[in-house]
Amino acid sequence: MSATTTPTTTSRAPLTGSGRRRAGSLAWHIGALAVLAVVLYPVLWLVGASFKPSKDIINGLQLFPGRPIFANFKNLADGIADIGIRTFFQNSLVYALGSVAGILLSCSLTAYAFARIRFAGRNTLFALMIGTLLLPYHVLLVPQYVMFQKLQLTNTYVPLLLGKYLATEAFFVFLMVQFMRNLPRELDEAARIDGCGHLRTYWSIVLPLCRPALITSAIFTFINAWNDFMGPLIYLNEPGKYTVSLGLMMFRDSDGVAANYGGMIAMSLVALLPVLLFFLTFQRYLIDGMATSGLKG
Amino acid sequence: MGIGGSMERRTILKAAGASAAVLGLGATTGCGGGSGAGDGTVTIRYSWWGAEERAKRINRTIALFEKKYPKIKVKTDFQTYQSFWEKFQTQASGGNPPDVFQNAVTFLRKYDKRGILLDLRPQVDAGHLNLDDFRAGVTEVGEVDGKQLGVPVGSNTMALVIDKKLWRKAGVEPHAGWTWDDFFKALKTIRDRTGVPGDTGYFGIMYLYDLYLRQNGKAFFTEDGLGFDRADLTEWWQDGYNRVRAGIVTDPKAVAQDLPKSSLSAGHGASEFTWDNFTVRYHSEGDSTYGLAPIPTTDGKHTGQYLASLMLSASARTAHPEEVARFIDFMVHDPEVGRIMGYDRGILAGTEQYDAFKPADEINKEIARYEADTAEAGVLGTITPHPSGADTVEAAFLRIGGDLGLGKVKVSDAVKQFFDESQAAFQA
Repeated sequence: MSATTTPTTTSRAPLTGSGRRRAGSLAWHIGALAVLAVVLYPVLWLVGASFKPSKDIINGLQLFPGRPIFANFKNLADGIADIGIRTFFQNSLVYALGSVAGILLSCSLTAYAFARIRFAGRNTLFALMIGTLLLPYHVLLVPQYVMFQKLQLTNTYVPLLLGKYLATEAFFVFLMVQFMRNLPRELDEAARIDGCGHLRTYWSIVLPLCRPALITSAIFTFINAWNDFMGPLIYLNEPGKYTVSLGLMMFRDSDGVAANYGGMIAMSLVALLPVLLFFLTFQRYLIDGMATSGLKG
Repeated sequence: MGIGGSMERRTILKAAGASAAVLGLGATTGCGGGSGAGDGTVTIRYSWWGAEERAKRINRTIALFEKKYPKIKVKTDFQTYQSFWEKFQTQASGGNPPDVFQNAVTFLRKYDKRGILLDLRPQVDAGHLNLDDFRAGVTEVGEVDGKQLGVPVGSNTMALVIDKKLWRKAGVEPHAGWTWDDFFKALKTIRDRTGVPGDTGYFGIMYLYDLYLRQNGKAFFTEDGLGFDRADLTEWWQDGYNRVRAGIVTDPKAVAQDLPKSSLSAGHGASEFTWDNFTVRYHSEGDSTYGLAPIPTTDGKHTGQYLASLMLSASARTAHPEEVARFIDFMVHDPEVGRIMGYDRGILAGTEQYDAFKPADEINKEIARYEADTAEAGVLGTITPHPSGADTVEAAFLRIGGDLGLGKVKVSDAVKQFFDESQAAFQA
């Protein structure tokens, strides 16, 4: 999301006449709105297209339909390929929220160990963990599939979620480690004097202070899981277990033979909403957290 | 550091247990699929590519099958073409391909080489699968080295789709037995009289080049490689490129801008070579009227055409070969299945189904007529073999041909690149 911040006109030096100041402010706002229009154009197009018949979507250049139709949304309400649309959204939510919970728990715990406990081989292990970022996804794909297949866990969400509970996402561990290293150590020491063990320090002292890092991780994880296509594609074998990203593809054939673009675009629009809501909800806490964590130690 | 260690460890274990419990929720629904239950009921997995429209039809046919064979349950799974093969490749490497799946001739040798496809011949001999009662010659498409690796559900053949209004306006008409000279002259006339290029880019289509080679006693593929040399391809691509420059073939830039629509439907070209059953697409995308025309010939007689087809294949690892064979048999022979599926996957291959389904709409009637005419003209030959790696070669032909049209590569470099990539694909 592009959050455009409007400068307060009063902060400018009020040297010139108020008319000129207003003209300047007007020009600035028009400019900002023009940029906003460019940025938002694809979204507007998506909204407009969801009210057009499929044929007009690929033929016409106009942004909004002359005569809006609701058939695309009605189509969605009827479900895709005999499966109710709610199924896909429920599945995606389970996957996305399950991932968020896993990442927040496991990565912060791992990060605490790396940031606060001095143990043998810590630096080597940290380097190794960062090294896993270099492994391309495609190298892991088949071996991981074979492993989960042998464990009889394909066609479940376990292969998709398990790694998230074992802190395998090095990026988030790294993010949290960096954040924790910046927290004043005096807080830990004060906690220790009051009798806290590591777990208590982690839970009651470090974790609340890490809120901005946790929220950033949560937002990224949610979006990643919501958009993940390859994982669900490979591991899930029943359309009833499909996520939204797989459901979106059901409108298309291989060669564009009679693709239902209307249905696809209507569903894309609906699929955007949960991500948007998640972001809007937590973005507030993000700014909150940033503001408070800087206050006295 | 390290005070209160033991207490911590216990709490960590508890936390770990909690997250394992969360995972457990997901695991309860799991089952590998393809396994049998205690009461003799067998479950088979069936995967295919296509869109929701096909899914709805297939679901209805499966309901029919399960009614007739209550002891066999079928679980379906579908994706788009590209995703289907990505998934199939991974699952096959992991030893867990679906029991039955949609297949095409391009992939037969590739997966046969890896031992993934089930030879259905023993099932035919055991009487579980009937290979008679098919339209002439279609079952051969699924044969490789004496093994029956696929059973066709529908067939199609290459055709020239034309924008009838533009051709009429230009005063030209395609006819059976016309030559390439006639064809290109017609394209030029269309360009001169209507201002629209005559064709949307014939020279990047592998299956059309195959027909041209077959007319000249060659073929695109042999059993293990390419059936033409660099000089052949240089000529084909150079001519094509010259025709783009001359304006009688649509500028590939315009073709790219028209996506996902075809340039023929967009009115930026007057004809396009494609599979006959894809004609439906132009009617749903464009505003003109479209028709099917015969493939141009070299000698005034032979078009080099053959019937290609979508097939059903089975996995060599399936635990239930008999049930799988019965499933395929039902899907290709049952008349009611034919009525439900229609020409969705090509003109129905089994004769019972072919006779059971009579298209009601003008577009599908024309497709049926086109295939009947082609068969009657006696131009249908045996299909060109597709060696392992043919799928990669096909994609390379399309991509490099496209780059060439855009002027990104010179003809000589394009030919060299194509031969290099093909070599690598055959060896993979």
